[in-house]
Order: sequence, then structure tokens, then C-alpha cells
Amino acid sequence: DKDCLKIWESLKHAFIYKNPCNITSEDYRPLMELASHPIPCNKSLFWSKTSDLAHRYTKSNQNFLTLEDTLLGYMADRVSWCGDPSVPGINYESCPKRSECESNPSSVFWKMASKMFAEAACGVVQVMLNGSVEAGAFRSSSIFGSVEIFNLNPDKVSTVHIWLMHDIGGPQSESCSGHSIKRLKSILEERNFKITCEDNYRPVQLLQCVQNPDHTDCRLCTNTT
Amino acid sequence: KWKGEATTQNLESIVIGRCYDYIRIVNPAVGEKNCSEIWEAFKNAFINKDPCSILPKDYELFINLSLHTIPPNKSLFWENNQLLVNSFADRGRRYMSLGDTLFGFFGDFLNWCGQADSAGLDYESCPTTEECENNAVESFWRMASITYAQHSSGVIHVLLNGSAVGGAYPDPGFFADYEIPNLQKDKISQIVIWVVDDIEGPDM
Repeated sequence: DKDCLKIWESLKHAFIYKNPCNITSEDYRPLMELASHPIPCNKSLFWSKTSDLAHRYTKSNQNFLTLEDTLLGYMADRVSWCGDPSVPGINYESCPKRSECESNPSSVFWKMASKMFAEAACGVVQVMLNGSVEAGAFRSSSIFGSVEIFNLNPDKVSTVHIWLMHDIGGPQSESCSGHSIKRLKSILEERNFKITCEDNYRPVQLLQCVQNPDHTDCRLCTNTT
Repeated sequence: KWKGEATTQNLESIVIGRCYDYIRIVNPAVGEKNCSEIWEAFKNAFINKDPCSILPKDYELFINLSLHTIPPNKSLFWENNQLLVNSFADRGRRYMSLGDTLFGFFGDFLNWCGQADSAGLDYESCPTTEECENNAVESFWRMASITYAQHSSGVIHVLLNGSAVGGAYPDPGFFADYEIPNLQKDKISQIVIWVVDDIEGPDM
């Protein structure tokens, strides 16, 4: 059982009346402790540049959970916040962007929550990447590439399944044999994880097809049937 | 005492939270709404009354305060496939089902009832529709369905379940009894019916 009012108070105290460019993970420690909960094995779904699709998938398939389907992520999703030393302590006009200062309340929150989400994962985990992005499906600068993969626990997590999705009718900038995927595989293999990769994992592709039912990729009978 | 599920714990916080979530994040196009006032109007529809004597029109003020336009061609009616509809409507982005309107979003998946001679909500049990029809939740959805139908326009869609026992079009049912009779002929250009079978389900 969780005390929601206490959780709100701990979130508020993490940033209220503080300089919004000077937030540390220590500020969020009480909140993280109050709001975290264990995650069933084999259900963690990480994602990078596939927010919409990943979340639509977990809404229709309760067998997977993204960070935003956990209590912490759910509370903070699509909400922004920052404080200010002057009264009332909360800034309802504007908040610093990541480019203005990295240690802003939002960025620090998501970095910490992502780290904990990765640490809590066990068994087989999944990651949904975007093969239609020019900069590459796997980027070291993303939260997935800089925080999550390094906080997966090799004693708890056995395998990482990569689902590499292309936009329907979109560019196929990269596939499972691509450059950045090779780099991701080597980083994970070095930490002793088994890896698999699948181009256009069908259950997720079917969701994309809702928007494009007439596209050839969305025919019910494909070349393989 | 009653056979049905009790009032949802923390109902007030959930409902007021949903109201703000809706107007700030889900659909800010509806503009400014007074969420505390809406909660009060909602509550006053059923507290301090015999829980078997709540009528749709008891929610009139609630509806007036939470009403907003439903964009033409976006209405999606349904029967026996709520999860599919929620998925397909995509939180109002593709279609706006009743659960994607502010007044529908308010009550979706929740349960509530009051008691006579007490301002409190009943957290032990609530009457089922079999026990009495004029209960708080049933009347809420009747009023919400009537309102939703009255404010729908353009091309409207209905998603029915072709695998449902008893037929895809249930009669009696919410769509049959409260929605169809309230569709406005002069605002609606076409009705598109989709009959969808469960995957690996029967084709009734």
C-alpha cells in the first residue's frame, strides 16, 4: 500500500524553492524510496525514439511494462515541474530546458527513475528501437544508451530482446544487422547478456498498421505464410 | 448489505485528479473547468439519498459543468468491447468515445454510491442494477450516454462485437435505449457500423 499524499510531499520537497539548475539525485531519494515497487520478471520494456508505439503496445498488451506504466513513471508522465527560490517556490511560467541546464528537476528525475527501472528488471527484457531514425536506432546519448543498459543487473537479467521497428512506409535507415545495433550488442555481450534482435516484431507492427491498413506491409498474408 | 462492489477508495482524489489530468493534458482544448465544482455537483447527485432512488437528471448540473463539444465525425459508440474501443480510440486522438470525453473520463472503471441520512459515501457495498435500477452508477451512465448521443455529429461510428452471445446488437442495451433515441437527425450525416469478431472467437 502506498501513501499518495506522502509521495506528493516528497516530490514537492525535491524541487520546491530550489534553484532549478541545481537538482541532484539525492533530492529525489525519498520519493524514489516511497514510490518504487518490484516489477515482475520478463515484463520490462525499454524504448528509445518509440514512445508513442511502445506505450500503445503496453496499453493493449498487459504482459509488458514500460517505466511509464510503473507508479513513478505513471505519475510524472507528460507533466513538467520546476521550482524557484522566490515565493511560491514553484514556477508556473517556465522551466529550464535540458539545453539550458542539465541538472533540472525533470531531467534528473527521469534519469534516476530510468536507472531504478533498469535495476529492477529481471529475466528476459525487451527494448523497442526505431530503425527509421537518421541518427541511428541505438544512440549512446539516449537515456537507454547512457543509463539503462548500464544498470541492468547481469545476475538478474538473462536476455535482451531487441525489437527494431520501422515506420510503415518510412525509411529503413537501419535494421538488425546495422552499425549501431552491432555496437549495442557488443556492449551488452560484454556485460554477459544474451541478445536477440528482430526487425519489425509483428505484434507491434500490427499496431502501426491500424494507421496504415492498406500498406503492403500490413497485408494479413505476407510472403512467409 | 448490498451485493455490489463498494465505492472505489479515494474516489474524490481520483475524480478531481482525472478532471485536472483531462483539462491540462488529455484534452486542453476543452478550456478551463472548475474541477472542485464539478466534483461537488457529481457528489450531490447521489449523497444523502436512498441509493436506489438516483435518477439520470440528478446528474444534470454535473453534466452542465463538464460538458464540452465533441468534434464532428469523432464519435464512437460501442457494445461489449470496451478494451478494444479504448485501444482503438487512442485516448481521443483517433476517435472520442464516451470514455474520452471529460464527463465519461470522470467515471470510467469506478464505482460509487451514497446512503440515506448520511453525507458519506458507502465504502462497504453498493446496489447492483439487479437489486435496483435507479442506482448512482447506472443513472450516471444513462445520463452520460444520453448527453454523448445528443452532442454527436457528422459521421458516427458504432463498434459491435460479432462474437457476443445474444448478438452483436444488444437490445435492451445502453446503445439501444439511451443512445440511438438521442441521436440528432439534423446533425448526423451517416452511421457506420463495424462488427468485429474476437480473434479465434465465434462468428455469431
